[in-house]
Amino acid sequence: MTRGYRRRDFLKLSAATGAGALVAACSSNTPAASPGGGASPSAPAASMSAGASPSSAVAAGPLNFLTWSDHWNKDALTQVKDMDGIVVNVSELSDNADGFAKVKQVGGQIDMVSGDALWVPEYHKNALTDAFDLNSLQVSQQLYPIARSFEFFTASEGYLAYPWGWSPIQLVYNPANVSPAPDSWQALVDPKYKSRIVMENQPVDIMLLVAKAIGAKDGYNMTDDELAQAKSFLEKMKPNILKLVAQNTETISALADGSAWIATQNLGAPDRVKDAGGPPVDAVVPKEGTTGFIDGEMRVTGAENADRISPYLERAAQAEWAAQNFIDNGRPLFNEAAYKLLVDGGNKERADRYLYNTPEVALQMTLKGPGGRVQEYIDTFNSVFGA
Amino acid sequence: MTAIRAGEAVVSPAVRPARAPWLRLWPFVPAALVLVGLFLLPLAIMVVYSFWATRDLNVVAEWTLANYVRFFSNDTYVRTFAKTIGMAVLVTATAIAIALPFAYFLVRYVSRRWQRIVLLAVIVPFWTSYLLRVYAWQAILGERGAINQLLMSLGLIHEPSRLFVYNNVAVFIVLVYVYFPFAALAIYASLEKFDFNLFRAAQDLGARPDQAIRHVMIPAIRPGLVTAAIFVFVPILGEYLTPALVGGTEGVLISNLIINFFRGVQYPAGSAIAFIIAAFVVLLLVVFRRYLRVEDVVTRA
Amino acid sequence: MPDRIDVLDSMPVSPWARPVRWALRLFAVAILGFLYLPIVFLVLFSFEADRTVGFPFSGPSLRWYATALDNDPLLDAVRNSVVVAIAVAIVATVVGTMAAFPLVRARLRYPNAIRILVTLPIMLPGILLGVALVTFLAGLLHLRLSLLTVVAGHLVFTMPFVILIVAARLQGFDQALEWAAADLGASPARTLRHVVLPLIAPAILAGALISVTLSIDEFIVTFFTIGPQLTLPLYIYTQIKFGVTPEVNAVATLILVITGALFVLGAVVIPRTWRGVRAVRLRRAARRAEAA
Repeated sequence: MTRGYRRRDFLKLSAATGAGALVAACSSNTPAASPGGGASPSAPAASMSAGASPSSAVAAGPLNFLTWSDHWNKDALTQVKDMDGIVVNVSELSDNADGFAKVKQVGGQIDMVSGDALWVPEYHKNALTDAFDLNSLQVSQQLYPIARSFEFFTASEGYLAYPWGWSPIQLVYNPANVSPAPDSWQALVDPKYKSRIVMENQPVDIMLLVAKAIGAKDGYNMTDDELAQAKSFLEKMKPNILKLVAQNTETISALADGSAWIATQNLGAPDRVKDAGGPPVDAVVPKEGTTGFIDGEMRVTGAENADRISPYLERAAQAEWAAQNFIDNGRPLFNEAAYKLLVDGGNKERADRYLYNTPEVALQMTLKGPGGRVQEYIDTFNSVFGA
Repeated sequence: MTAIRAGEAVVSPAVRPARAPWLRLWPFVPAALVLVGLFLLPLAIMVVYSFWATRDLNVVAEWTLANYVRFFSNDTYVRTFAKTIGMAVLVTATAIAIALPFAYFLVRYVSRRWQRIVLLAVIVPFWTSYLLRVYAWQAILGERGAINQLLMSLGLIHEPSRLFVYNNVAVFIVLVYVYFPFAALAIYASLEKFDFNLFRAAQDLGARPDQAIRHVMIPAIRPGLVTAAIFVFVPILGEYLTPALVGGTEGVLISNLIINFFRGVQYPAGSAIAFIIAAFVVLLLVVFRRYLRVEDVVTRA
Repeated sequence: MPDRIDVLDSMPVSPWARPVRWALRLFAVAILGFLYLPIVFLVLFSFEADRTVGFPFSGPSLRWYATALDNDPLLDAVRNSVVVAIAVAIVATVVGTMAAFPLVRARLRYPNAIRILVTLPIMLPGILLGVALVTFLAGLLHLRLSLLTVVAGHLVFTMPFVILIVAARLQGFDQALEWAAADLGASPARTLRHVVLPLIAPAILAGALISVTLSIDEFIVTFFTIGPQLTLPLYIYTQIKFGVTPEVNAVATLILVITGALFVLGAVVIPRTWRGVRAVRLRRAARRAEAA
C-alpha cells in the first residue's frame, strides 16, 4: 500500500537527472573536431599556412593542457582548432607544486603541463614526463640557440621541455621615496622602509632571495649556520613587509597607490605600474644576483593524446603568437624570430627594456625549483612569519 | 518515520512494533556513502602520510613522529594556533550578535515572501568571486581608497589612515563579513519556527520584553544558535585565504602555516599539523556535547 | 500563503516597541548596504579602461565586456561553475536532508560521534581535502577526473552544512503534528510531503543556498578534482603571475545581472502568473461544484 515517499523519490530523481546531465556534459567536453569554417583568426595566421604541417596526418581531437594563464591565447587555440582540428582543453594551475601533485596522480589524463625551470627535471626524475627530440619540432628553429641547450632541460634521452618564457625577480622601487637607489637585497631590511615592502607569498622563493642576501653558498641547501643567519634576516625584514601577495595585481596596486615603495617583481613592473596610473618606478637586479623562472611545456608520460602535442606546438609557438604573447603579458620569451617581429612592429624599445634579446641573463639567475632543504626552509619561514 | 500507519489503533511510538534498528537508518545511507567513500577513505591516506616522511618531494614509507613533534617543538605553531582560536571565537560572537537581530527582524516584521527574497539578496553577493570582493574592499579601505579620500577631503585627516589594512583588524572585519550569511541562515532556519505566542504568554506572566527574549526565545532557538556557532567557528580554523589577502604579515592564521608546507609538496608535515587542529576541534565538540545535543527527547504518550 | 499576522499586535505595547522596530529596520538596511558596498565597487571596476583593477579609476569603458563575451574558454568556465554549483546544491540538499532525519529521530547509540564525524570535513583546510581526493580518486582508483569528480569533491564539504542545519530545525519538531495527520488518515509519505517537509522548508532552503555559495567560488578542491576543464574560480585564481584584469569584473557583473533577473522572474513574475492560473482554476472548480 505504500505509495512510496513520493517527494523524496522526486528529489532523488532530479538529483539523478542532474548527475546524468553532468555526465553528458562531461562526455561532450571532449568533442570531435569541428572544422569551424572560415573563422578569421587575427593577422598572425596568414603567414603560417605555408609551413610543412605533418599535423595533417594526425587525427583531429582533444589535447589536454595544464598551464598558466599566460601560456595560452584563445585566438591561437581557435586557429589550432580550425587548421588542425585539435581542440585544446585548457586547465590552469597557479603553483608548480599543485601541478606536480596533480600530474603525479592523474598521469596521462593530462597531455601537456607547464613548469618552471628546476621543476622540469624533477618531473622527469619522477617519471612523470617524457624527453623528446627538440629538433624534430620545426618551430624550435625560431628559438634562441641558448634556449635549445639548457643544461637543466637536457637528459640523455632528449630535451625535457619546450622553452617558453623567463623573467628574473627584480627589486622594484619608487625613486621618490627610496633613496639612495638600492643596489642590494639589504635594502629589504633597512628600517627606513617599515611597512613599505611588498613581496610574493612564496616561502621557498623568499628563502632563496634571503640566501642571496646573506651570501649563502648554495641557495637550495643552506647550512644550519646560514639558516640561522637567514632567520635573523627574515626577522629584521618582517616589520618592513606590508603584505605578502598571492597575485601580481596586488603588488601593482600597492605600488601604484603609494602604499608600497619597494617590491620584488618579475620584469615589466614599471610599465604595469604606469598603466595602472601610478608613479614612475625603477627596477634593478641587485648586485648579489637574483632568482627567477624559466618555464617550458612538458610532455606527460602516457599522455592519451601525445601525438597532438607536436602539431599544437608547431602552430602555437610560432613567432607571431610569441610576439603577441609578449605584447599581452610583458615578459620575454625564448622565441628569437618573435624579436624581429616586435622590432618591425615598432616595439623594439619595449622589448629591449624587458631584456628580450638578452636571454643569457636568464642563466645568471638562481632558478626556481623544488628540492634542497624545503622542510627546514618552510619551518624557518613559519617561525618568523607565524603569529 | 515514527508516524503511525493509518488504520492502526492510536499508539504511542514507544509501544509500536519496533522495526529492526538498522532499517530505520536507511535515509542516512547516501550520506554515509559520501562520508566514507569521498572523505574517510581519502583522509585515511593523508593520516598515514602524516606519519611518513618526505624525500625529494615524494612521500616515503618511513614511519616517524617528527611531523607531529614539530607542532609542539617549534612554538610558532602553538602561538599561531592559539591566536586562531581567539580570532575564531571573536568572529563567531560578533557574527552571531549581528545575525541574530537581523534574523529576528526578518522573521518578525517581514512577510514570508519577502523573507525569501531578502535571504537571497543577502547571499547573492557571495556568489561573485571572493577575490574580486576583497579587491573591492581594498579599494574602499586602502590607502587611496574611498574612505581615506572621503576623510581627507573632509579635512578630518591629513594623511591616509593605515588603520584598516593588512593587520588583524582587517582580518577580523573581513571574516565577519564572509561568515555573516552562514550565521544568518542558520539562525533564520531555527527562528522561523519560533512561536511568537510564547511572548504573549510570557508577558501575561509579567515578563519584560528583554526578559522574554532572554528566557523564552533564546533557549527555544538554541539549536540554531549552536549551528550558527559551528558554521562560523569551525571553518575559520581552516581559513587561509582571508589572512593572505588582507592580513599582511600580522594577520597570519594557523592554516597559512599549513599551506606553506603543502605548497612545498611537504604533505606529511602539512597534514600532521592539520590533524592536530582537527583533533582539538573534535575535543571541543566532545567537551561541549551537552550543548550540541540535537537528538529529540522522546516524549512518551 | 498569507502574510504573517503579527499576533503581538493585540498585546499591550511597550513605549519602546516602535523605536525598536525602526532601529531593527535601520540595522537590517545597514547590513544589506554593507554587503553590497563591495559589489558596487566591483561593478564600477568592470568599466575600468586600463588593465588594473582598483583606484585610480580610468574610464569608463566597455572594452572588458567585449573581451569577456568574446572569450570562449572564459564563458565555458562560467557555464561549468554554474552546472557544478546547481548539481552540488541538489545532491547535497537531498542527501543531507535525508540524513538529518535518522540523526535526530533514530535514537542512535552514539549520536554525538556521528555528528562530529559529519562535521569533520569542514574542520580541515581545503587543500588537504583536495590532495586527499586526487590521491584517492585518481591515484588509487584511477578514475577519470571531470566535472563529476568536482561535484563529488564539493559534496564532501557542503553536505555537513545541510545536515546540521536541517537537523537543528528537526530538533524539537512537534511530532504531535505528524500523529494528528496519521489520525486523519495520512500515510507516512503524505505526512512527510504535506506536513513535515513544508515545515522544515526554510532549513532546506538555507542548506541549498549555503551549498551553492560554497561551491560556486571554490578553487582549491576544484583544482585537484577537475579534468581538462576550467571553472570561473580556477580561471580567476590562476591569473597569478600577471594579475587579474577587469575582464573578470565584467563577467562577475554579468552573472550578477543575470542572477538578479532570474530571481525577479522567479520571485515576482512567476508567482503572479501562477496565482492568476490558480485563480482561474479555482473559479472553474467552483462553477463545476455549483453545477453539480
